Amino acid sequence: MKSPNPTSTHEAWVLCLILGIIMLNFPFLQIFNTGRSIFGIPILIFYFFIGWPISILIIFLFVNRLQREEQDNTPDEGEE
Amino acid sequence: MISPLIVALVSICYFALLFAVAYYADARREAGHSLINNPYIYSLSLGVYCTSWTYYGSVGRAATSGLDFLPIYLGPTLIAFTWWFLLRKMVRVSKEQNIVSIADFISSRYDRSPWLGALVTLIAVLGIMPYIALQLKAVARTFDLLISPTSVAEVGLQDLFPVLPGYVDTAFVMALVLSLFGVLFGARHLDASERHEGLVAAIAFESIIKLVAFFTVGLFVTFGLFDGFADIFSRFALQFPERLSLFRLDTDAIPYTKWFTLTFASMMAIMFLPRQFHIMIVENANEDHIKGAMWRFPAYIFLLNLFVIPIALGGLLLSGGDTSQADYFVINLPLAAGHPWLALLVFIGGFSASAGMVMVSSVTLSTMILNHLIMPLILRIKVDIGDFSAILINLKRFGIIAVVFLGYLYYRVIGDSYALVNMGLISFIAAAQFAPAVIGGLYWRRANQKAAMAGLILGFLFWFYTLLVPSFVLSGWMESSILDQGPFGISLLRPLQLFGLTGFDIWTNALFWTMFFNLGAFLSLSFFCKQKTTEQEQARHFTDVYGEHIFPEQRQRISKAPTIVEFVELMSKFIGEKPANTAISSYLSGQEINSRGSLDDHEIPALKSFTERTLAGYVGSAPAKIILENYLSTRGSEMEDVFDIFGSVTLSRTASRDQLSVLYEAAKIVSRGSDLDKTLQGLLSLLMQQFKFDLCVIRFLDAQSMTLAVKAQMGMTSKHFGESERNLDMETYIGATFLSNTSSVVNDTEYLDKSVSAKIILRENIKSFAHSPIVVEGEPVGVLSAFSRTSKGIFTDEFVALLNNLARQVGIAWRNHQQLEKLLSAREQERDLEIAKTIQMSLLPAGIPELSHVDLAGLCVPAHAVGGDYYDFIRRHNGALDLVIGDVSGHNIGSALIMAETRTFIQAMRQIEQPYAMLDELNRFFCEDLSRAELFVTLFYLQYHPESGLLLYANAGHNNPVLWHSQSGTCEMLDSDGMILGIKPDINFEQRKTMLAIGDILVLYTDGVTEAEDTNGVFFGETRLKALIEEYHHLPANQLIDYILEQIRIFTGNRHFNDDITLVVMKVIHQNRIDPESKTQTNS
Repeated sequence: MKSPNPTSTHEAWVLCLILGIIMLNFPFLQIFNTGRSIFGIPILIFYFFIGWPISILIIFLFVNRLQREEQDNTPDEGEE
Repeated sequence: MISPLIVALVSICYFALLFAVAYYADARREAGHSLINNPYIYSLSLGVYCTSWTYYGSVGRAATSGLDFLPIYLGPTLIAFTWWFLLRKMVRVSKEQNIVSIADFISSRYDRSPWLGALVTLIAVLGIMPYIALQLKAVARTFDLLISPTSVAEVGLQDLFPVLPGYVDTAFVMALVLSLFGVLFGARHLDASERHEGLVAAIAFESIIKLVAFFTVGLFVTFGLFDGFADIFSRFALQFPERLSLFRLDTDAIPYTKWFTLTFASMMAIMFLPRQFHIMIVENANEDHIKGAMWRFPAYIFLLNLFVIPIALGGLLLSGGDTSQADYFVINLPLAAGHPWLALLVFIGGFSASAGMVMVSSVTLSTMILNHLIMPLILRIKVDIGDFSAILINLKRFGIIAVVFLGYLYYRVIGDSYALVNMGLISFIAAAQFAPAVIGGLYWRRANQKAAMAGLILGFLFWFYTLLVPSFVLSGWMESSILDQGPFGISLLRPLQLFGLTGFDIWTNALFWTMFFNLGAFLSLSFFCKQKTTEQEQARHFTDVYGEHIFPEQRQRISKAPTIVEFVELMSKFIGEKPANTAISSYLSGQEINSRGSLDDHEIPALKSFTERTLAGYVGSAPAKIILENYLSTRGSEMEDVFDIFGSVTLSRTASRDQLSVLYEAAKIVSRGSDLDKTLQGLLSLLMQQFKFDLCVIRFLDAQSMTLAVKAQMGMTSKHFGESERNLDMETYIGATFLSNTSSVVNDTEYLDKSVSAKIILRENIKSFAHSPIVVEGEPVGVLSAFSRTSKGIFTDEFVALLNNLARQVGIAWRNHQQLEKLLSAREQERDLEIAKTIQMSLLPAGIPELSHVDLAGLCVPAHAVGGDYYDFIRRHNGALDLVIGDVSGHNIGSALIMAETRTFIQAMRQIEQPYAMLDELNRFFCEDLSRAELFVTLFYLQYHPESGLLLYANAGHNNPVLWHSQSGTCEMLDSDGMILGIKPDINFEQRKTMLAIGDILVLYTDGVTEAEDTNGVFFGETRLKALIEEYHHLPANQLIDYILEQIRIFTGNRHFNDDITLVVMKVIHQNRIDPESKTQTNS
């Protein structure tokens, strides 16, 4: 079983992880940590409940990319 | 309020549904169509992460402190990013090593340490049991809420069914049902992979129900009770403007550090909580499912959390800001709003949340307790239990029930104290303690056992001190002085402000210090401590799991290879016969079996590993290791630590350069062809020099004594040498090596199991040794031995292979030597034979004496091997003629010399007149010599007086001569009593006499004549001889001899005879005596 993932995707993963950690913590959160509201919803909560699905989307895109890569490599790899 | 009966009924129906789902899934699996092998199911099953603590507790927290419920779910989303690497690697390793729990994982990675397994199990049990209590509490509480009027006073099951005994409350019933479920679907039968498809199916189903229920109630609250999200927020802002901090961070309730701590802790918890490990890794059916789970699971928890805040706020709004029952807003809101069925749905959802957690946790905790606490104990005590597999499965079932009920007890004893409600987070931080050991173990080869041990112990201790102790204090069991002033008044050691770190919440404090000490110890000890080679190996199984299997299985040598059958028997004992047979046949189908129907030697260690892994699936890896070691050691072979003598950690399949050069040198030495001793010494010094042995010995089988005697050695003390012979038995390693024709290796002489060898080995201070059989054409002829007084463990497989090769060289040298010897001795023999023949020929009469009275002829045809025949004619002074014919046993120079002596004696002792006297003297003279030489002589001595026709004769065991009487025309055999010469010195030789007439023929012969064989093995025999004589009596003597010889030749069909053929014929042709009987006379 070959080592999985070409490094570029690997690196992208790590990048996203780090980005995620940053965006979910101080000081980034402090940006949204105000009393303002958007669409009637407190901005921090809005941030979370929009940002969250977006990260899920990013994961989804990555997974797709993974699958496409694997399909390209399928003739070489046996069972997966 | 709902009628308890309805609630109970619905609960039971739901339960039945769960059972049905689980049962169906299990049945499908057994039929071969796995329902679980499905990415959606996998993602859903991960939802077991969301327990009632999150189902009800989130709302509670949202209403009380605000957003701090969120990181519990943001964390998993974040770490889902890493799953394709981290989780996948964990799954891969776990499948390969047959890992069935997190304790197994950690124990297995660190050299299958049973202590680590036990430690992890302990931490898990301490951390999770209260969590189970929490679940039971939640279910009980919500049940009671459903059936009691919406007043604070709850009505318990007792009040409704007073018939029930006192201890039976809702929680008890719940515990009962849940443990039953766990037993039925988690411990139905022993499963090597510890996969429980029914359980997973039920969990996935529950996840759906959870989501549906919560979402429904969320929708209801947001859009039913209010007008959408914005509405709730604005109303809340109006009504509780002072609580707007609920939407903010960096508040008193949620400092950023706490936010970070919670995120981090949940990132660890999602992976390392035992139930999570089990569901995500052990139950994983296909690595590919991880891909989908990476986004599906975050999506799931996102959806689940969407309505937490609205419900919380709604609850606050409708309860007037009362947060005391905030945990149960989820169920109280629909109840209060007059929608009991919705509340029932919520109850079912919450019940699912609790049930899932309890079911999975109880199964996995029971597995861990069984494998890492109980089994090692049983094995160490060496209790001999008959049917192990039945005991195992029942212990597991009991374990499940015990774990659930311990949780119940915990709940009953502790009740509503502080300790319980915070159990969730406390468990999370406990799970985080496993992170360094697991992640470090997966990616860092040097991470070693001591480091993991130290890290875990420290982490656990600090966890206990910074989290559990404060919770005990705050729930009133311990004095608060320890929190306020520190233990023994040392303020620096106050649990919540440990080492002077102030200003942080309890969780941050705890996480920081536990991770600091855990990780710190782990890193530093990994740097400073060395690993044993077995540990290094195991480490590589984890870190390099994606690589090709370049590390061969056979790192450890088994001295006496058990057979396949024995391995199967061992497995059967623990896991049952059928699973054992299934396992072994699927393994064997991937192996080559040699023509003898067994595995080659190098496959045996692989089989051992396979057996160990298989067993590990049932009993845990540490017990499996113990079992295999016990088993092998009782069979007389100890598993030895292996060091790589060439210093490299990675073994390659090809031999290293050093090895090859040694073999080359050895071949050169052998081919030089010097004498055997020189060759052997040369090989030994090569061995000693190259590998710095202290002692090398070559022994060969001494055919006479049937022992293995030293032929060459270097380094032996004389005392050792004095005891150097080895018998051909299994009592010594050398003997065993020879008899079994396989090498014996002892890498650590502390583990000897042959006492005979042990005495000598230990006296000579030997630390390790190896014996290789010296094999020539497949058969052992000796043993090559190498000993080290300085190092243990130098005999790696590679090295033993080298030793075997060297032994083969020795064998070649030996065989060459043997062949040379044979050649030489054959030549010598030939020479011997030549000499003997020469002597023999010289003994025979040079010519036939010309006599007037008799026609004499004699002939000796030697066989291809020298015979011992002899004949002679001796003319006496008185006119008598002595005829001697004799046969010496043996076909060598010795016999020829004896014959020469005999002839000389006879010729010299002319003063002896009588045949019997001659024989007597001969016998006395030669008896000692003959018996010493172990030779025998047969002789027939005749004396003929031609004047009178008198024939005297005496016999010493020789063939009876034939006398043909011309008068009667018949043959007579002349016999007289006398033993062969050389038996004893005192023999009475009888002498007889007879009268010969003219025309009589006397034929002397040796047994070469009568015992000449034809192709059917029939002897020529006396009869034929007599017949020939009768028929051809008219021939002259020499012609008669020729004719008889010809006939013998024809008879045997050979030109060559096996034994010498000697014939002497005497025909009486003339007599001076006028005999009244024979008027017919004279020369004819």
